[in-house]
Amino acid sequence: MCHLITHFLEVESFFFCCSPGSFHRFSFPMASPLHDSPNAAVNGTSAVEAKSRLPKRSRLHADSSPPLFTPSDILSEFSHHDPTVARINNGSFGSCPSSVVSAQHDFQLQWLQQPDDFYFNQLQPKILQSRTIIKDLINADHVDEVSIVDNATTAAAIVLQQMAWGFAEGKFNHGDAAVMLHYAYGAVKKSVEAYVTRAGGCVFEVPLPFPANSVDEIVHEFRQALQRGKQNGRRVRLAVIDHVTSMPTVVIPVKELVTICREEGVDQVFVDAAHGIGCVDVDMKQIGADFYTSNLHKWYFCPPSVAFLYCKRSINNSDLHHPVVSHEYGNGLAIESAWIGTRDYSAQLVVPKALEFINRFEDGIDGIKKRNHESVVEMGKMLVEAWGTHLGCPPEMCSSMVMVGLPAYLGISSDRDALNLRTCLREKFGVEVPIYYRSPKDGEDGVVTGYARISYQVYNKVEDYYKFRDAINQLVHNAFTCASLPNS
Amino acid sequence: MLREDPRNGESAHRSSKKPKLSSKFITESDIRDEFSHHQPRVARINNGSFGSCPGSVLTAQRHWQLQFLCQPDAFYFNTLRHGITASRKIIKDLINADHVEEVSLVDNATTAAAIVLQRIGRSFAEGKFQKNDTVLMLHCAFQAVKKSIQAYVTRAGGSVIEVRLPFPVNSEEEIVFEFKKSIEEGKSNGRKIRLAIIDHITSMPSVVIPVKELVRICRAEGIEQVFVDAAHAIGSVKVDVKEVGADFYVSNLHKWFFCPPSVAFLYCKKSTSSSDVHHPVVSHEYGNGLPIESSWIGTRDYSSQLVVPAVLEFINRFEGGIDGIMKRNHDEVVKMGKMLAESWGTNLGTPPEMSAAMIMVGLPSRLCLNSEEDAVTLRSHLRDRYEVEVPIFHQVSKDGEEEVRDMGRFITGYVRISHQVYNTWKDYEKLRDAINQIVEDGKTCKMLYTE
Repeated sequence: MCHLITHFLEVESFFFCCSPGSFHRFSFPMASPLHDSPNAAVNGTSAVEAKSRLPKRSRLHADSSPPLFTPSDILSEFSHHDPTVARINNGSFGSCPSSVVSAQHDFQLQWLQQPDDFYFNQLQPKILQSRTIIKDLINADHVDEVSIVDNATTAAAIVLQQMAWGFAEGKFNHGDAAVMLHYAYGAVKKSVEAYVTRAGGCVFEVPLPFPANSVDEIVHEFRQALQRGKQNGRRVRLAVIDHVTSMPTVVIPVKELVTICREEGVDQVFVDAAHGIGCVDVDMKQIGADFYTSNLHKWYFCPPSVAFLYCKRSINNSDLHHPVVSHEYGNGLAIESAWIGTRDYSAQLVVPKALEFINRFEDGIDGIKKRNHESVVEMGKMLVEAWGTHLGCPPEMCSSMVMVGLPAYLGISSDRDALNLRTCLREKFGVEVPIYYRSPKDGEDGVVTGYARISYQVYNKVEDYYKFRDAINQLVHNAFTCASLPNS
Repeated sequence: MLREDPRNGESAHRSSKKPKLSSKFITESDIRDEFSHHQPRVARINNGSFGSCPGSVLTAQRHWQLQFLCQPDAFYFNTLRHGITASRKIIKDLINADHVEEVSLVDNATTAAAIVLQRIGRSFAEGKFQKNDTVLMLHCAFQAVKKSIQAYVTRAGGSVIEVRLPFPVNSEEEIVFEFKKSIEEGKSNGRKIRLAIIDHITSMPSVVIPVKELVRICRAEGIEQVFVDAAHAIGSVKVDVKEVGADFYVSNLHKWFFCPPSVAFLYCKKSTSSSDVHHPVVSHEYGNGLPIESSWIGTRDYSSQLVVPAVLEFINRFEGGIDGIMKRNHDEVVKMGKMLAESWGTNLGTPPEMSAAMIMVGLPSRLCLNSEEDAVTLRSHLRDRYEVEVPIFHQVSKDGEEEVRDMGRFITGYVRISHQVYNTWKDYEKLRDAINQIVEDGKTCKMLYTE
C-alpha cells in the first residue's frame, strides 16, 4: 500500500511541475522507474529517452532503496537557495542539498555535545569511511592514496611545498622547471610563485588558445611548453595540469597530456581537477597522474568545504606533508590531514550522505553529469543564438559549464569591466554568473571580448537562462556599455 | 541582522564593550539553556582541550552559514571580508594591539605555529640563518608545536633547545631560573638563538608561565624573536600583547572565549620582518599581508570567524564581563582543586596564583599510574564507566629530584580539571567519588586496562 501511495504522490508532483512551458525535459532528473513513459511523454520527455534509461549500478541496495527524486523533492532540497537569483555559477562555490546540510548539522552537534568522546571514538573512523567511498569513486588502488583536505587550494600547497623542499635540500637544481597552463587557477599560480619560484625554480606557462577549437591545439601547445622547459639541460620537475580550467572553462585532455609528460621525462604530474568529481569522469588509474585533487563541494553536493587529494603510491610520495603540522606528523599525509588541530571536520564526514543523495537520481552521478552537460550545451546554444555570438569551445570540450560569448556591443575591455558587469547583473537583474574578459589579439577587431561562464546543476531551470538572456538583451537595448559603469 | 535571544528579556540595544550596570545579568537557568546541548550526564571538566560554545553563538553561526549557502557569490563579494574585519577589530581592542593589521584570524594555534615556523624554515633554506642556529622551546610545549619545529626547523638544519621546567612547581622564580639556564647553555658553542617559543599557559601539565618576564629576558639575551603560544590564554588570563612584548602571540578563541570550532587570532607585531609572514595555504591574496591572506584560503566555512561580535554580547551578559568570568573560573577551579586534593590526600601541581581556569590535582599513588598508557586507560575508564571527562597527566619521575608523595609513595599522575561557566560542584564531586571508588576497589590502572 505504501508503495502505491508513494507512486501516486510522485505522479502528482510530476504533473504539478509539468505545467506547460515551466519545465523542459532536461529539468527532470528522471522518470521514476515505478511508472511508465506515458506520463513522461505528455511533458516532452521523449519516449526514446524514457525507455532507454536503464538503471545502472548506481544504488547501494536493491529493492529497498529510497525512491528517485521528483522535481518537487529537488526544489525542496535546494529551497535555501535565494529564489530571486538565477544561480548559474555553480562552478565557483558549488551547492549543497538540505539533506546533506542536515547530516552535517548532526555531526556538528555530536561534537559539541561531547567533543572528547567524538575525537577519540568517532572522528577517525568516519573520515576513513569518507576516504574509502572516494577511493572507490575515483578508482584508486589503496585508501592510503586518498587524503581529505579543505580544498584544491590546500592540495596545491601540499604538492608545491614538496617541490620547495626539493630545491632547498638540493634534490633539484636551481633553475629546474615547473610547467603549468596559462589558465591555471589564480591561487595555484600564486602557490607556484610562493613555493617554486621563491625556492629557485623556473616556471613555464602553456598558452592555450581561446576560444578553443580542438584538443589537438592543446596537445600541441603543451608539447611546445615542455620543450621550452627542458632547454639547456633543465629537468621538468612538475607539470600542473587542470582537468577543467576555471576561467575560461575548457575540458583539458589530461590523460593524453599525462602520457606526454611520461614520454618527455617530467618527474611528477599534478592534475588540478577542482571541478573534476561530479563534472567529468575521474579515474585515477586511467589518467595516471601522480597527484590529483578535486573539490567535493563544487559538483559533488558536499557542504563547504571538502576535497580529496590522491597521491599515487610510489617512493617519491612518502615525503608529502600537510603544511599545518600536528602531532600526527610523519604518519602519512592522509592521517596528518585528518587532524590539523581543533576544527570543524563535519564537511568531511558527510560524503556517505552526499552519495545517498546522488543515488536518488537516475543513473546516479553519471546520469547527473550527462544531463548537466546536455542541458548546459542546450542553454549555451540558446543564448548565443539569441545574442548572435558563439560558444567558447565545441560542446565536447565542455562539461557542466560552458563559455558563452557576450555581445561585443557591451564593450567589455578589461577585467575590471567584467567584474563590474557581473556586479550589475547580480544587483540589477538578479543573475549570478561569472564573466571573463578575453583581450583581443593583434589584428582582431570588433570581436567578442567578454564571455559568461554558465553552469547547469540539478536545481537549475530554463527560466534561469531566459532571465540571463533577457538581462543582456535589455542592456544592449538600453545602449548600455561597460564604459558607463562606475569604477570602469 | 541576528535575532536576539528573547528568553531572558534583554533589550535590543546592548553596548558591546561595557557590562550592563542594570540588574539583568545572565541567570543560572539561562546558562543551563545556553549549554543545554552539552551531554547532560557527563561531568565535563576538560574545557581546555576543545572548549565550549553557547547556544546563542551557535545560532549566530548558523545564520552566517545559511547566508553563504543562500547566495555564496554575494556573500563572498559583499559580506565576508567586512565580517572578518569586524571580528579582527574587536580582538585588536581586547588584546591591546596597536593596529588591526597586526591581527590575523586563523583556524587554531597549530596553524599559527606552522605560519611562524615555516618562515624560520625559509630563513634557513635561503641562507639567512646558519646551520645549527637555534630555536628554544619549553620541554612541555604542545606536541603539535614540537612536531612543527621538527618539520620546519630541524629538517632545515636548525637545532633545538628544550627548557625543562620543574613540576610540580612552587614559584615563578623556579621557571625563570630554568629558562635563564637553558639560554646560557644554548648560547655556549656560539649558537645564535633565532626564536624562542614560550607557552603562556602550558597544556600538560598546565601552569601559567610568567611570559612578560621571560620575554624581557629573551630581549636582554639577544634572542631575535619571541613567539608566545597562548592557546589557552584569551578568556582565561589577561591578554595584553604590548605588555607581554612578544613578536608573535597566538590564542584560540574556541577554548575559553566561547567561539565555535574553530578560530584563533595570531598577533604579529609590526616590524620589517612581519611582512614576510605567510599563510601556508596560498591563495590569490598571496602578498597582501597575513591578515588578508588568512581571510581567504580557498572556499571554506569561515562562519566561526564571523561570530566574535555575538560572543562579546554573550560575555557581557555576565557580571564583570570577561574579567568577571575569568575571576570566578579561577576561584572555583582552585576551590575544587583543593577539595579534591584534600579528599584524595594528594596535592595541587601549582600554587593557585600559577593557575588560571585549569589546575593540576595529584591522583592517589595507589592507582599506580606509571606510563602514558596508564593515563589513557584511566581517562577512558572515567569516561566510559563514570561519565567524567578529564585529561590525565603522567608525571615522569626524575632522578635526584624531590618528589611529592602521598602515604609513602610518589604521586605520578595528575588530573587537569577546568572550570567554565557551565560547571557545577556536582561535576567535581563526581570525579572525586569516581577516583575514591576505584581506589577503594583496590584497582590500579593496569587492572582497569584488562577490564
